[in-house]
Amino acid sequence: MAKMATLLRKNLVLILTLAVMLALFAAAASGMSQQDFVITLLRGLAVGALTFLVASGFSLIFGLLDVLNLAHGTLFMIGAYIGWTVYVRPDTFVDVLTPLALIVSGFTLRDVWAILARRVPPSGAWGRTAPWLAIAPGALIGFGVMRGYPIASWSLENYAESPVTFSFLAGQGQRVIPAHATFGDASPLVAFGGLILASMLVAFGMTLLGRSETHAQSRVTWRSVAPFAGLVIGGMVVFAVNEPLTAWLFALDTNWLFLIAVLVAVLSGMGLGALMEITLIRPLYVRPIYQLMLTLGLSAIGIEMVRAIWGRPEFTMPKPALFAGSGEGCPAESLWLALQNGCSTMIFQGGRIRVYNEIFVPLVGLVVLIAVWLLLKRTRLGMIIRAGVQDREMVEALGINVRRVFTLVFALGVGLAALGGVLAAPSIGLSNTMGESFLLNALIALAIGGLTSYPGAAIGSLLVGMLQQFIIKYGQIGIAIPFTEIVFKPSPPLVPASTILLMVIILLILPNGLLGRKE
Amino acid sequence: MTPILELRDIHTFIGQYHILQGVSFTAPHGAITALLGRNGAGKTTTLKTIMGLTPPRAGEIRFEGRRIDGKRPFEIAALGIGFVPEHRAIFRDLTVEENLKIAERKKGDYARKQEMIFSLFPDLKRLIHLRGTNLSGGQQQMLAIARALVADNRLLLIDEPSEGLAPVVIEGLMSAIRQLAADSTVILVEQNFLVASQLAEHYVIIEEGRSVKSGRMQDLVNDRAAIHRYLGAA
Ligand SMILES: Nc1ncnc2c1ncn2[C@@H]1O[C@H](COP(=O)(O)OP(=O)(O)OP(=O)(O)O)[C@@H](O)[C@H]1O
Ligand SMILES: [Mg+2]
Repeated sequence: MAKMATLLRKNLVLILTLAVMLALFAAAASGMSQQDFVITLLRGLAVGALTFLVASGFSLIFGLLDVLNLAHGTLFMIGAYIGWTVYVRPDTFVDVLTPLALIVSGFTLRDVWAILARRVPPSGAWGRTAPWLAIAPGALIGFGVMRGYPIASWSLENYAESPVTFSFLAGQGQRVIPAHATFGDASPLVAFGGLILASMLVAFGMTLLGRSETHAQSRVTWRSVAPFAGLVIGGMVVFAVNEPLTAWLFALDTNWLFLIAVLVAVLSGMGLGALMEITLIRPLYVRPIYQLMLTLGLSAIGIEMVRAIWGRPEFTMPKPALFAGSGEGCPAESLWLALQNGCSTMIFQGGRIRVYNEIFVPLVGLVVLIAVWLLLKRTRLGMIIRAGVQDREMVEALGINVRRVFTLVFALGVGLAALGGVLAAPSIGLSNTMGESFLLNALIALAIGGLTSYPGAAIGSLLVGMLQQFIIKYGQIGIAIPFTEIVFKPSPPLVPASTILLMVIILLILPNGLLGRKE
Repeated sequence: MTPILELRDIHTFIGQYHILQGVSFTAPHGAITALLGRNGAGKTTTLKTIMGLTPPRAGEIRFEGRRIDGKRPFEIAALGIGFVPEHRAIFRDLTVEENLKIAERKKGDYARKQEMIFSLFPDLKRLIHLRGTNLSGGQQQMLAIARALVADNRLLLIDEPSEGLAPVVIEGLMSAIRQLAADSTVILVEQNFLVASQLAEHYVIIEEGRSVKSGRMQDLVNDRAAIHRYLGAA
């Protein structure tokens, strides 16, 4: 009992704040019909879930690495575009696999390069030019080979072959399998060799450049060349079975294809995150301001790259069959029937809700919430993360390679953002700027919930999502101001403003957010 | 016999500050060596330099004959060196048990060492599920030392274990450290000369980033002038 009392006293402000918010929430509910209320609640949940996927990754990264990753929104968007590509244009996805595997292959031979690098004198004219003597021809060869391999097999100029059109056709169930990319006149084997050589040269050159950091093994073991062999063989096998593989993917049930798209998006996000941490973020841990500028710059570069590859226009991603039906028995009377008939909508409490947006997405959000929580609380990695948030040096002094944990956490955080993006795509569509509003939402959610608190990220995201949806709804039906005749309709610009207002109010009362720690 | 640890003319910079300006000493096997010196002399920096946390810019560090300077801290730790930092830096958000488990370097380290650790620090056993924040100062210090015992460490670097603790608690810690020294070598930073002189067999005095005097503790205890000169009135 005494414990309860102190707990109460310690968290008095928090409890009062929550109570006030609950009261406001109840007031919001009383202003609309039950049907509107339930729908708005679920929509809030959906936006909250997507926000949470961005916010949780962002806060994991910030908590352990102290990096404010302003590119997180862009990575969310990139996740969506990658997922879309796998889902709508699996042929392109398959075409990319081979060159990607070969280009990465050379970089996995780190140990070999480190040993070779010892033969090159580190200083002097020779030492200074040697890296570029490897990188420049490598890059040239790489570009030369890739020029003959047209990957982006849609056209941004020609409307009939634009991503917009392909999306539309896929939504109609019409899928034409385009011819797969080839290396033009060059024999594939020559092209493979060229790519591998290019990759090796660039990897070696980069090892020479960053030599002071190499602490590699002194001998080449089978284990250190296995990834290389795997990538080269894998790349070639994919090339050989390109056509049947593409045909199989096109014929695949869209539910499975969607699952593959999600997996590929998440894995690509993780890969991109790892690459970003190792090459760009890592050298700048001693200069946090530069790091901040860098992530901001990367964010802009990412958006431009997406524009160059997928174009500017917004397009949609068709929902998987399970959530796309509108035929017989739809909208369904229950979730069970909705899933059975593959209905896109169902009737709940008298209102019509979209199964994908308002049930599936929040559910995935919940699953991720629990999964990451278990990761943090129950696994060794989670233990290391929690300890590292407080004292990285000590974690390292226990014999743990903190640098590797950093890379892993960065990858994980970006993976979560990419998951958010690919999940958001079927419900809100793809646009170059889709990430920005979610990053802003996530930042506000984290400020509300407490920057590095994981439950705080969840609560903050939920609040932001709810608040926005309720304001939007009231924008449609209006708020009857008590004791007057006035009906106030919040205008659209009030939606972001309202969350910022909430943030300001909460931060004035609780400077560390709802669940942030005072330090 | 090669000494377990040998520092030769170590120079360490923190930012642009030249903190260690020539530290050399050897720590013999299976004994306690005390690092002595005034506040700000560079004792903590010496331990951190050995761990690779503030890597030296010049000089050599050998552990069991092998060069370890230039290696990353986790590699150095993995060779068998345990570090107990100053100010009882345990992980506050982790439970006592997690604080110990995180120090595992091989699977099962914790299970194997549990008994030894709890016989040394019986208090920890009943606190096992408490979070680090909720421990008293003395308990935190015990946990910090216990954490360094989970993995198989042949050398322990312990920084000011008695700092801010009541005399009774210090007594307990001293006997624990004495028992530790039976199986491994200990390098101990200790401000309290009485404690240091009772525990250590060897000493190294550091002054303004330089090792200025070292030898057998016995000799130092009898050398009033040196004590006065380097450590202030003792
Ligand atoms: N991060 C830092 N930046 C600048 N100077 C530092 C830093 N860390 C330590 N120093 C300086 O290095 C010198 C040695 O510090 P160190 O902590 O090693 O001393 P110490 O002998 O352990 O002292 P104490 O007995 O007070 O713990 C001090 O003068 C201190 O001010
Ligand atoms: Mg100190």
